[in-house]
Amino acid sequence: MVGIGQFDFNLFIKILPDLARGALVTLKFSSLSILFGLIIGTFFGIFRILKNPILPKIATAYVELIRGTPLLVQIMIVYYGLPAAGINLPPEVAGVLALSINSGAYIAEIIRAGIQSVPKGQMDAARSLGMSYAQAMRYVVLPQAFRNILPALGNEFIALIKDSSLLSVIAIAELTRTGMQIYAVTFNAWTPLLGVAMFYLAMTLPLSKLVDHFQKRIGGHESP
Amino acid sequence: MSLLKIINLHKRFGDLYVLRGVNMEVEKGEVVVVIGPSGGGKSTLLKCINMLEPPTEGKIILDGIDLTAKGVDLNKIRQRIGIVFQQFNLFSHLTALENITLPLRIVKKVPKDEAEKIAIKYLRKVGLEEEFATYYPHQLSGGQQQRVAIARALAMNPELMLFDEVTSALDPERVKEVLNVMEELAREGMTMIVVTHEMGFAKEVGDRVVFMDGGVIVEEGKPEEIFTAPKHPRTREFLSMIL
Ligand SMILES: Nc1ncnc2c1ncn2[C@@H]1O[C@H](COP(=O)(O)OP(=O)(O)OP(=O)(O)O)[C@@H](O)[C@H]1O
Ligand SMILES: [Mg+2]
Repeated sequence: MVGIGQFDFNLFIKILPDLARGALVTLKFSSLSILFGLIIGTFFGIFRILKNPILPKIATAYVELIRGTPLLVQIMIVYYGLPAAGINLPPEVAGVLALSINSGAYIAEIIRAGIQSVPKGQMDAARSLGMSYAQAMRYVVLPQAFRNILPALGNEFIALIKDSSLLSVIAIAELTRTGMQIYAVTFNAWTPLLGVAMFYLAMTLPLSKLVDHFQKRIGGHESP
Repeated sequence: MSLLKIINLHKRFGDLYVLRGVNMEVEKGEVVVVIGPSGGGKSTLLKCINMLEPPTEGKIILDGIDLTAKGVDLNKIRQRIGIVFQQFNLFSHLTALENITLPLRIVKKVPKDEAEKIAIKYLRKVGLEEEFATYYPHQLSGGQQQRVAIARALAMNPELMLFDEVTSALDPERVKEVLNVMEELAREGMTMIVVTHEMGFAKEVGDRVVFMDGGVIVEEGKPEEIFTAPKHPRTREFLSMIL
């Protein structure tokens, strides 16, 4: 008999394609968001260290605001709150927007730390050869910063994959919501939720391995 | 007209008063050796000359151009002043060759194959065979890294070279190979300001020795004057400590 507490192997096989589709949606949303988050984070990470009267303050306010509030609330503000201000966004756009803004704040901090991990002498040498500040950043400092923060960025991506489960509250059919829907129809919780967990692991474990690999490589030959 | 003229240079870092009115002139082809105790402002002086550290007060005049004036294109000016640092500061994510070609390509817009030719030429000049071109900095010895750093600066074709204790971080047996490169450069007529503790180099290669302490030039003169008959007690004290 099928009950709430029982694992149903036949059901499990049957729902695999649905869960796989949900996992793909999760991957799509987290990939898009990490990409936009990287762009946002790179700018705000640089803003934080600029010698400028306002940009560092704006960047700090952004980071504090995002880190000090729950992602769930941020998602709901973008999806349910913005329409009140006259901006209606489809759930997909609202979802990517909220996740990107959220990860952008965490990535900004990672980028800032990454830039500061590059010895000051690198910037001095680049500028002394006639490079502008922007050129020195782009060709000398940032490539080394990114190499140093690759593990941290990997961890951020893993966190984002898991956090994207919150998109289920705005009716995006990602992995978690797919599992919940199967539960709602079959009244079997164990089978879809175990499947859901399994798919999350299938995405995060290889990434963890990659992070370990990068970590070791950096440990191997550190910049002077 | 002198190539470089430093007029009443002051530099403060917050409350710290590092340079307190430095005046100096360097003729074309001259080798000026700067000596002095730690913290005396020698590195700061070099960084002010190429405006890596903006002076608090005073003028830096290179070939008639006041670098401290508003509107000066410092990125252009810095191509004319090479600097080599104690810590090498090679770009650690790039090979020896790329360290030299990167600034050529993005600053001087030299095409890739030409930039590589120039890079190889200067690697040879500092005594590095072509095989080292593909090495990353961490695969090179300190002496080799420093020579790549010199090659990188020379490849920009500067008129003035600044050296900031470039052998201080090297193993003793590697010091000579770097000093030899600098000596050859001096012989070819390069204008150089060299901060160093290598008194042998100062005597043999220097046209003039400048003793700096407390943010000012205490005494200057020909090497033989400074080393055999220093006038100022602080110079005497410093020399007795290191010789
Ligand atoms: N960016 C900076 N910010 C604050 N203080 C600085 C900065 N750069 C240098 N200083 C300080 O200025 C003083 C002079 O430093 P500088 O490096 O010019 O001396 P130096 O003569 O080169 O000494 P050394 O022989 O040890 O290299 C030191 O007290 C140093 O701590
Ligand atoms: Mg110094």
